[in-house]
Amino acid sequence: MTTPILSLKNISKRFGGLLAVNGVHVDIMPGETVGLIGPNGAGKTTLVSLISGTLTPTTGDILFQGKNITALPAFERARLGIGRTFQIMKPFPGLSVLDNVAVGALYGTTTTNKSLSQARDEAMEWLRRMDLHLKAEQRADELGGPDRKRLELAKAMAMKPTLLLLDEVMAGLNLVEIDEVIDAIKVVRETGISILVIEHMMKVIQSLSDRLLVLHHGQQIMAGTPQEVLNDPRVIEAYLGKRRV
Amino acid sequence: MKRLLPVLLIGVVGVLIALPWIAGPTLIQFAINALMLATLAQGWNIIGGFAGYASFGNSIFFGLGSYGVAIAMVQWNLPFGVGLAVGVVFSVVFALAMGVPVLRLRGHYFAIATLALSQVMSAIFSNLDIAGRNIGLVLPLLRSDTLFYELSLALLIVATLIVFWLSRSRFGFGLIAIRENEDAAQSMGVNTTRYKVLAFTLAGILSSLAGGIHAYWITFIDPNSAFDLSLNVKMIIMAVFGGPGSVLGPVIGAALLSGVSELLSSTLSSVASLFFGLVIVIAVILMPKGLTDCWLKFPVSRWHYFIHNIRQYRL
Repeated sequence: MTTPILSLKNISKRFGGLLAVNGVHVDIMPGETVGLIGPNGAGKTTLVSLISGTLTPTTGDILFQGKNITALPAFERARLGIGRTFQIMKPFPGLSVLDNVAVGALYGTTTTNKSLSQARDEAMEWLRRMDLHLKAEQRADELGGPDRKRLELAKAMAMKPTLLLLDEVMAGLNLVEIDEVIDAIKVVRETGISILVIEHMMKVIQSLSDRLLVLHHGQQIMAGTPQEVLNDPRVIEAYLGKRRV
Repeated sequence: MKRLLPVLLIGVVGVLIALPWIAGPTLIQFAINALMLATLAQGWNIIGGFAGYASFGNSIFFGLGSYGVAIAMVQWNLPFGVGLAVGVVFSVVFALAMGVPVLRLRGHYFAIATLALSQVMSAIFSNLDIAGRNIGLVLPLLRSDTLFYELSLALLIVATLIVFWLSRSRFGFGLIAIRENEDAAQSMGVNTTRYKVLAFTLAGILSSLAGGIHAYWITFIDPNSAFDLSLNVKMIIMAVFGGPGSVLGPVIGAALLSGVSELLSSTLSSVASLFFGLVIVIAVILMPKGLTDCWLKFPVSRWHYFIHNIRQYRL
């Protein structure tokens, strides 16, 4: 049996009186793309922050490649190979698109001293794969919606992660743009890394995930293939209401 | 232009080194002050311009450097060089001890905390016997403006070389990432706490050396002049006016503003500072990224450069 890339063991997070995440168990295998869905306030982003290290869990353990990382700060987890994008985009606004990605190449899983020009070369490579290379010299805050999402992907991928956390990358995009970004995520998936996708849009989740998890009020209520999960009456009730997608 | 710049810089440095044998004593005394302010602005540039932490605590390092030299020379009869080292040790200890908690604060809170620390340090030194309480210390007299001038110049060159190295190193790039978005930098693998403390320490060492040289030159220090807040305000204005986060901006800003301020105060005296303030307000509105940025972009976009700045920063 292979060790999971990531396992969450009975993870809970309490904010004062609110139990945002309640006893969640998750295993993500190498190369697997797992979708995480749930209504607003279900604890999805909290879970991502717990994995990336922005928050520490109240109880429970987080294992990354079999190693307990529960107490590690965010930057050390990034160095081990956990990359993330943010729901509210966090580019380095005053830097060029190229330099934004170069930060990922310079840091991320590289701990040795790398020259700036070398990092920029690697960054350019990811900009090409994300179809952003023609905008490399623009300031990051001049980019429009879908380009910003691609930039986030390129930044995270330049870190050479083994696990990528995508927190609602599609938020604020129209249908055409969503298709573009789905294609970009497929490029990322082909590199063979594990991905945890958090998403509202069923279409996105269905076209990307091997497996789905459903969170509701901080609890995992269901896990399975997209087909199983989306036909489960509990899921429909909690998340989709009465309407079928 | 790119090819010309190194040649131009070497020429300017050459003239500056030779200056004591060319210029009169008044100009040299003015230059020592200007070089000191430029070094302080360059030090502030590391923590304020690169890492984006608007420090009001850099004058503390200046004060610690001054007291390091004064205490070593007056109380312990040690040579000047050892005094500088004592000042650096004070500053490093302070930067490590206070940097860790204070650098957890962001934005205005960091500025206010460092502002308060500077008052606290002044109060502490006013009550230390070894530092001469609030009377201060009188240092041995050394009449050699040439020596102080060359020392100050050497320190500024070292400071500028450090910033040049920063501008093209992994460490400097990490600091810029922290300035642009600290959470994102952290999640991309930058050890933000360590980087900020290191930047604070580096800025502290440079300011401390400047303070040490200044104390020996002036030959007298007391808590008010050593921990002078207006000095911190000056270094910020000079760095921001010249171009925070650039290599030469703070030096150019310090040179220009020292010159303007000297001219104004000798001709206009009382209204000088008012006029000075006005110049800075207008400069910040029209070119918030400093002279260097204006120099690079004005030839391309002409007057639109100023209009663009006003729009972008919603003034």
